[in-house]
Amino acid sequence: MAASISGLLKPWTPSVFLVRWSRYNPYYLEPEVSKEAYSRPETELSAEEKEQRELKALRPIKAATSGVTSSVFDDPVISKFINMMMEHGNKVLAREIMTQTLENIKKKQVEKYHKASEGEREVIECNPYTIFHQALENCKPVVGLASIQKGGKYYQVPIPLTDNRRRFLAMKWMITECQDNKHRRTHMYEKLSQELLAAFGKEGNVIKKKYELHKMAEANRAYAHYRWW
Amino acid sequence: MALHRLSLRLRPTVTHVRSLHSGGCRQQQEAVAVDSEPEPFSVFRTRESDPACHSEKHLGQYYTLPSAHIRTLFPSGLPWRYQQQVKTFNEACIMVRQPSLEVISYLKKTDYSKPALRYLFYGQKGTGKTISLCHTVHFCYTQGWLVLHIPDAHQWVKNCKELLPSSYNASRFDQPLQATTWLRNFRLTNERFLSKIKTKHRYMWTKREFTEEGSLLGELVDQGISRVKSSSDVVGAVMKELRLQSGQPGSDFRLAVAVDGVNGLWGRSTIKKEDKSAVDPEELTLIYNLRKLMRNDWTGGAIIATLSQTGSLYTPKSAYLPQELLGERGFDSMDPFIPVSVPNYSEKEFESCYLYYMDRHWLQHPQSRTEEGKKELVFLSNRNPSMLDRICGFL
Repeated sequence: MAASISGLLKPWTPSVFLVRWSRYNPYYLEPEVSKEAYSRPETELSAEEKEQRELKALRPIKAATSGVTSSVFDDPVISKFINMMMEHGNKVLAREIMTQTLENIKKKQVEKYHKASEGEREVIECNPYTIFHQALENCKPVVGLASIQKGGKYYQVPIPLTDNRRRFLAMKWMITECQDNKHRRTHMYEKLSQELLAAFGKEGNVIKKKYELHKMAEANRAYAHYRWW
Repeated sequence: MALHRLSLRLRPTVTHVRSLHSGGCRQQQEAVAVDSEPEPFSVFRTRESDPACHSEKHLGQYYTLPSAHIRTLFPSGLPWRYQQQVKTFNEACIMVRQPSLEVISYLKKTDYSKPALRYLFYGQKGTGKTISLCHTVHFCYTQGWLVLHIPDAHQWVKNCKELLPSSYNASRFDQPLQATTWLRNFRLTNERFLSKIKTKHRYMWTKREFTEEGSLLGELVDQGISRVKSSSDVVGAVMKELRLQSGQPGSDFRLAVAVDGVNGLWGRSTIKKEDKSAVDPEELTLIYNLRKLMRNDWTGGAIIATLSQTGSLYTPKSAYLPQELLGERGFDSMDPFIPVSVPNYSEKEFESCYLYYMDRHWLQHPQSRTEEGKKELVFLSNRNPSMLDRICGFL
């Protein structure tokens, strides 16, 4: 849709330069942050990619948000999680909590690794990033419920979820669980690391919540035909 | 056998490392018998766990502190993040660096019949001053010295929960809690000296309690721990006794005074009296006695100190030089001293630290093991030891 509109539009530069707004003229292109994308030589690119490169020389490009970096350690999932944890725009605090969580997870696992015997060492996963991604995968629900009105009553109907929605639900459950249902004197990074390690091992309250949602969806299977999309 | 082949492969890197140092070391190494210093089994670690044998060829290498020494020597002397690291890695390793090696070489060569020399570690925030102090203190401990270690002088001038007027001198204030914790740590560190040293003076604590002349130091320390009210005065008495006895021909011990954050002694304090006016550090018994110990009017030992801006009060964040942090009074009292600068990691030291973290499975991010990731670590941390530690913590 954006492509057809941009075909009709004439090239224009705005009188006021847009910085960091989320609503852009569809004429604008997305920024490419990673260094590898630019280091590939001409020969390796396909025709479309060559066309894209030429277009970048002509069209204006959206401003990159402050959450993306060209660092090799940049991870979009972790950035999304930090944004969801952030309150009142305090990104510094949210990032601090995330880094402390990762360090805490790694500390616990490395300590276990060094104290374990040779045979047990292969099983212990020390990388906090794989633990985070795997825990989030384990928390993602497969089907969700939607409230659909039929004949004056509202029914909870099982529906398929998009990938973005599933990831959002997993992260939201994780954060609310840690904020509400833990002992009040523990730090957030401590609560998060405990919950993430439990989810990695397919136990804990968030996994339980996912299973309950699945059970509800299974129970309401009869109403699945109420969905019209 | 595999180890022998591994060491052959590492030999080019090891000789490259060795060629940085003087030829004299190498000849000395070859002249010495085979069993004294075997080939190091990795580039960043050394098997030599005795600080007295550390020399230039161990620069940049990590040596392991025995866990028994850690428990006795440093009940609270190590930085918090380092203690966590020791717990995680199940071992305590310190890098042999130029500043501490320099001070240790001076300590080996001093004439202990002259007045005590004062060594001061100074540097930017996070460059490793406290760890250098701990390395030097470990050397003194392994040589059999009596170690008087004050882990952080700033803790004595702030956050005081109990402030009592001193029983000895009405214008001064006592801090019983800090004094008792310090006496307990002192007792733990110097067990073997407590039953050997005898007091030369008679001390009267109350109308009925007193310590006779010629009683053991251990009794004095126990008196301070059990009678909390007079513990600050006991600390003063212990310092006075050790100072008087250390240079004497009869005593068989050497005294090492190690103070971390020595600029706190001459700064300001945040402790308030009952009428909300600030207490001058001079009015605190502990600080007053410690200042007397920092003068170089005694013989038979050394004073090793560190400056610290992190815990200090009312000093700007950018200050790190002795002149700025000690102030006029502090500098005049400490003058003359031997300043030892502690810089950021050099390239070789950074390599060594990186390899150590890789060995201990601390760097887990797949990108951190690549060249690009390493360059990024150098850029982000500026080779500052504490920044590198914080960054590698979550990678």
